[in-house]
Amino acid sequence: MDSGFIALVTMYLVASVRMATPLILAGLGEAVSEKAGILNIGVEAIMLSGAFFSFIVAFFTGNLFLGLLTGIVGGVLVSMIHAVLSIHCKANQTIAGLALNFMVMGLTSFLFLIVFGQTTTIPSCTMFGDIKIPLLSSIPIIGPALFNQNVFVYLALIGIILTAIFFYKTEWGINLHAVGEHPQAANSAGLNVFAIRYFACFINGVLGGLGGASITLGQLGFFMENVTSGRGYIALVAVILGRRNPIGIFAAAMVIGFSQALQYNLQTLGFPIPTQVFTMFPYLVAVIVLFLSIGKSIDPSALGIPFERNKR
Amino acid sequence: MKQFGKLLSYLGIAFLTLSISILLILLVGSSVTQAFSSFLSGIFGSFYSVSEVMVKATPLILTGLGVAVGSRSGFINIGAEGQLYMGAIAVTFIAFWLNDLPAIVMIPLVILGGFVFGGIWSVIPGFLKVRFGISEVITTLMFNYIALSIVGILVRTWLKDPASSLPMSAFLPDGATLPTLISTTRLHAGLLVALISVVLVWLVVWKTPTGYEMRAVGLNPRASKCSGISVYKNIILSSLISGGLAGIAGVCEVSGLHHKLLEGISPGYGYIAIIVALLGKNHPVGVVISALGIAALQVGSLGMQRMAGVPTSISSIIMGVVVLLILARKSLFRRLLTDE
Repeated sequence: MDSGFIALVTMYLVASVRMATPLILAGLGEAVSEKAGILNIGVEAIMLSGAFFSFIVAFFTGNLFLGLLTGIVGGVLVSMIHAVLSIHCKANQTIAGLALNFMVMGLTSFLFLIVFGQTTTIPSCTMFGDIKIPLLSSIPIIGPALFNQNVFVYLALIGIILTAIFFYKTEWGINLHAVGEHPQAANSAGLNVFAIRYFACFINGVLGGLGGASITLGQLGFFMENVTSGRGYIALVAVILGRRNPIGIFAAAMVIGFSQALQYNLQTLGFPIPTQVFTMFPYLVAVIVLFLSIGKSIDPSALGIPFERNKR
Repeated sequence: MKQFGKLLSYLGIAFLTLSISILLILLVGSSVTQAFSSFLSGIFGSFYSVSEVMVKATPLILTGLGVAVGSRSGFINIGAEGQLYMGAIAVTFIAFWLNDLPAIVMIPLVILGGFVFGGIWSVIPGFLKVRFGISEVITTLMFNYIALSIVGILVRTWLKDPASSLPMSAFLPDGATLPTLISTTRLHAGLLVALISVVLVWLVVWKTPTGYEMRAVGLNPRASKCSGISVYKNIILSSLISGGLAGIAGVCEVSGLHHKLLEGISPGYGYIAIIVALLGKNHPVGVVISALGIAALQVGSLGMQRMAGVPTSISSIIMGVVVLLILARKSLFRRLLTDE
């Protein structure tokens, strides 16, 4: 292996991790929510809200940390609307998520226009810089990719570990599974199904909001209409590909991140293959994975079904 | 009393939506009366603007009808967008392949082709749902992106117009274009196709035994199975019709409006279709009314932006808010809806 090849691999790995970060964050949140039986198609809305509010606050206060926190609040607000509709009102979760996507998409571009007006120059804010972790960052290839990145990448990595511990090593994780698989049984066993589901939706909002903030405060430094451009839907695909397993979601997001990084590079090089070939790639892989998983039940049994205490 | 309460609850939703709209208009700093008058004149101001509502309603009727047929049998079709694009691919492909056919043969052929392409794009998720229990919500969603990418690839490679540098196909041969209904407007015969489809769907789903079975499966799959109605067959059939109608919407957009294949033929019609079906209570007549309503909302908000400076994204907000309120209706207005 010559040094040029290693440099290329490192460069792609760094870019892939950057692209994957919002997907990992939002995907982990969605996995928690789906484990508890709440299918939220509105991840896009959660992310968009997080991206918008984090940018607005970072722009006007100049305080990135405050922006990050507001991004989380923005995500939680949206996910709680979904939670109330699907848990309290027992509404169709898919339609609720879709309606949220419409509403938040409209609302963020509406408010953005009100605040900044029709401008030719896109207003921009400062971004989180890269934090170099001593020693670890000097490991060849994975060092620069994992240990010389911005705060969102670290949050995503910590999130993966924490979610994995939460899912597989704690009683809370088992309760979460129980509520998603068989809410009636969980209820009989004395678990508060509603509270656990609200909690799962809250986590989804926090992580989705962070994912949105990572786009504006970690990748772009500006906000524009529909800045998430479907990343919420791609996060859903990452959850399916990764089968709601935190490590799996990380791997899936990396594959998607790599195909995105490749896409941008080929675009700038003027490669003759249409970039859509690469856009399509993660979705095709996801469909193939679904085909391969045929026969094994992978969805939580109560996914998308409202829980009613007095019904069998 | 209960009927009256129901009516009141819908009036409540209308009132809340109106209040939110007024709030948003005030937030922009625009005058409310001017905003509303420009909204109305944006819709009814001229013959052309009314025709634009019809133009926008055409794909919404077809896709909304498709989603409604799916919902009736329990197939939640989030993939109308992708199915629409598959229909658009079908019409372009057939038109260039058999380019010298006369319109009288060509038009039915492309509509059939669009139906088949869109239908296939929806039957695969339908099959995965009934045979293997894989949620159609996720698969149809992914199929949207795959279809969009296929269009993107095609308009840059095999179907690209060599004379243009932009990613789009050449103009369709004359035989494959739907006639314009009224000159000086963009209103095309696609509207008639949509209305004929509405009547046909109503006949098939509400007046035939097959349609009865499809609706029964949607109401209670287990009971249907016990009384000898095949859930498998009916979900496959309804997903085929559901996607096929969205495919026809793609055909109408390409051969009626754009006359060529390009990437942006649908500004999310397939997603709005789900709202259309919900507001129309999954009934053909309801779908037509709600499609016209949403089309009018979008056309009117254009007028509102032009004359009162209110951003068009307000229409997206209103759509979202209305659906959320409808979903929350039974909890919001519980007092009204339970018998006192």
